[in-house]
Amino acid sequence: MNGPILEVEHLVKEFPGGRRGEVVRAVDDVSFAVAEGEVLGLVGESGSGKSTTARCVMRLIEPTSGRITFEGNDLMDASRSRLKRLRRGMQMVFQDPYSSLDPRMRIEDVIAEGMVVHGTVRGAEARRARVAELLELVGLRQDHLRRRPSDFSGGERQRIGIARALAVDPRLLVCDEPVASLDVSIQAQILNLFKRLQRDLGLTIIFIAHDLATVRHLCDRVAVMSNGAIHEIGTREQIYSAPTSDYTRSLLAAMPVPDPEVERRKAAARRARLEPAGSAGEAGGGDAPTDGGGPTAADPRPSLPVSASGGAG
Amino acid sequence: MSTVMRSPAPVRGQESEEPLLDVQDLTLQFHARHGLVRALNGVNLTVRAGERVGIVGESGSGKSVTALSILRLVRAGRIAGEIRFAGENLLTVPEARMRQIRGKEIGYIFQDPLSALNPVRSVGDQISEVLRLRGVRKAEARRRTLDMLQRVGIKDAGRRIDDYPHQFSGGMRQRVMIAMALIGEPRLVLADEPTTALDVRVQAQVLDLLWDLADERDLAVVLITHDLGIVAGFAERVVVMYAGKAMEECSTDELFRASIHPYTLGLLHSLPRVDGEVPEKLMTIGGSPPSPSALPSGCPFHPRCRYALDRCREQVPAFVTPPNGSHPSACHRAEVLAQSPGVLQ
Repeated sequence: MNGPILEVEHLVKEFPGGRRGEVVRAVDDVSFAVAEGEVLGLVGESGSGKSTTARCVMRLIEPTSGRITFEGNDLMDASRSRLKRLRRGMQMVFQDPYSSLDPRMRIEDVIAEGMVVHGTVRGAEARRARVAELLELVGLRQDHLRRRPSDFSGGERQRIGIARALAVDPRLLVCDEPVASLDVSIQAQILNLFKRLQRDLGLTIIFIAHDLATVRHLCDRVAVMSNGAIHEIGTREQIYSAPTSDYTRSLLAAMPVPDPEVERRKAAARRARLEPAGSAGEAGGGDAPTDGGGPTAADPRPSLPVSASGGAG
Repeated sequence: MSTVMRSPAPVRGQESEEPLLDVQDLTLQFHARHGLVRALNGVNLTVRAGERVGIVGESGSGKSVTALSILRLVRAGRIAGEIRFAGENLLTVPEARMRQIRGKEIGYIFQDPLSALNPVRSVGDQISEVLRLRGVRKAEARRRTLDMLQRVGIKDAGRRIDDYPHQFSGGMRQRVMIAMALIGEPRLVLADEPTTALDVRVQAQVLDLLWDLADERDLAVVLITHDLGIVAGFAERVVVMYAGKAMEECSTDELFRASIHPYTLGLLHSLPRVDGEVPEKLMTIGGSPPSPSALPSGCPFHPRCRYALDRCREQVPAFVTPPNGSHPSACHRAEVLAQSPGVLQ
């Protein structure tokens, strides 16, 4: 295993504006390290703090406290100009390919913007050549250069977003739910693209998702988050085959699997667990709601451990 | 044309009865600024009393429009085909009768409860509306609403009945939606992506609840989803839609083990999974789904299909059971695929 490219220590992010004016701690003492060339998955339910963690790592939002070290450089103390230089090494791919591309810009300019801002490739000709290279790398056609985002489907837009992120030759890619809004038949295309890029370019990737199946497909290591904290972190095999926490087990057990036999077995197991809890048909018996939190996404929610005997099978 | 399938899987023993809902060759077109939109291009769907049927499809495949058309909630456009519900033709019954059918005979659960619920009326008020419109007295309507809220698992229902939608979490709001759909004691519920906005653990609870309620009331459910995992757990029978067209219809077991449609097979092979081996590369379906305003000629799937022949470009395939097959599909090559069902070549 290579040395860490990114280290996050005791990261805390608090937001004002809880229900009675109290502070909401969206990220609560999170520490992890990512080795060079590794793909780390951050999984969790909505409000678990996974996206906020990613945004803090990029310093797109200011962390309340903690240390973030990227390639040996302290990001927290970095001045604006130094931060700008460091960000060349770390780029982000966003969830929504519809709102993350400026509809007025041509694709060529969307992808080249980073090169202009960072001055990495000088001269219009050289930039155009580099954009052409990037388009090919992500599987788009050269004649797409002069079009605008509205001419593209969701999957193509996500490819554009990835090309834009790669334009400044980053070592670390932070991807926030990059396939969540794509159709099933397109998701596989984009997952394969990530895998190929990671292998060919030696990229390090932090992959944030709520879908445990896509994370398993792509990630070497997985951190399971809830209530702003890392609940469990381990290799893919550890997390999916031998999870140690009840929380991880309950997530895995609830994840629908495209196999009717497995699903029937799981449903039967859920029912068997419910029966003794309360009389059938009685409200609030075993069928206890887990999402007792309020309507705001940042609300920390009580996590209800569900004992999943046998796991997800 | 009746292409009701006989499945080897343990489906309810009601094959001989007339289906509760029978949709045949439903089409819907409307004019938009950018031209003619062909939203539905031949939908076939049968649902028997008490049966749980899944409609799977990607965005733009017409699954939501199908549900809205059944309730005649699509105002614009030219609709053709047949929708029979308990002996009545829903495309021709008067609007006054249709209004009775909505809510009383057919319930509807929307994907996003926050935008489907009225933010300035209490949930109890909204749930009981169906009863009040039917002349049930206020006290009685409130009592039945309270029962319903308890049944869908709202704790402390006596207090919560006067709360407003924003005071509920996502999962609880969806339970309120379910209560609203079921309070009129319908025989059929159309549930359009009812758990898409929910976290997986809450999703499992909501689906279990829907299952239990359907079971105890002999209620038929049409569950619309893009998630094949949800279909696997919930539905007895499945219709796969693509580009506004039913592509395959079979029992859930057949769908996952013995599909004979290239699109279904492609979808199944492109799914990452939480169990089994992790493949180096996922199989993919190239390209992307067509826009309903620019459908390809012939079979709408042909530009992405590895089995496509010249005929597929020219002729729309009929939705029929191939002579060597066990269930209907819309594919010119169904006979070839039925030789080794479930296998993608």
